[in-house]
Amino acid sequence: MAEKLVIIVTHGPDDAELATIPFVMAVAALASDVEAVLGFQADGVRLVARGVAEQVEAPSFPSLAKLLADFRELGGTLLVCSPCLKSRGITAPDDLVDGAEVVAAARFVAEVTSATNSLVY
Amino acid sequence: MTLATDTELHSITANKVVDARGSACPGPLLEAKKGIGGVSLNGVLEIWSSDPATKTDIAAWSSKVGQSFLGVLTADGYDRVFVRRQK
Repeated sequence: MAEKLVIIVTHGPDDAELATIPFVMAVAALASDVEAVLGFQADGVRLVARGVAEQVEAPSFPSLAKLLADFRELGGTLLVCSPCLKSRGITAPDDLVDGAEVVAAARFVAEVTSATNSLVY
Repeated sequence: MTLATDTELHSITANKVVDARGSACPGPLLEAKKGIGGVSLNGVLEIWSSDPATKTDIAAWSSKVGQSFLGVLTADGYDRVFVRRQK
């Protein structure tokens, strides 16, 4: 995969559509042989808290749980903002879905600057 | 991109058919991604989808990943989308 798309997710389960669309884009990228990284910041980190994806379903979209499973099956990378977790009382790694990697700003910078393109939701 | 005529599409017997009817975006695309691997080189994958956006989505995907989009036939409440495996 020569190309890489980094998608930053800042909306949590309170906005199911804006929480779901980044996953749709990321799965479509992977299906198109484009490496995909989902980066969760601010309230977006709630989406990778264990058990949350199962409760998010935007009208006319697949469930977030299905998209998350597809994303992981296709080899996507999940990066989660460390201070954003701390401020919400989410404990890593116990409270996070499998495969979620807790990182800080420098890793996000490295991912975005090495990507072909990036999107922020 | 050279599209097949409807007559040509009707004459194709796909090597593999995937039924993605009822699946929302990006489901049909994902089925195409998975399905194309099960088709031999120069073989044809046929994707059934009830999402009207699938036909343009699969066309874009085919161009992106180097497969050959052949065209679409409209069936009863769904589209039959044809892709030839090129690599």
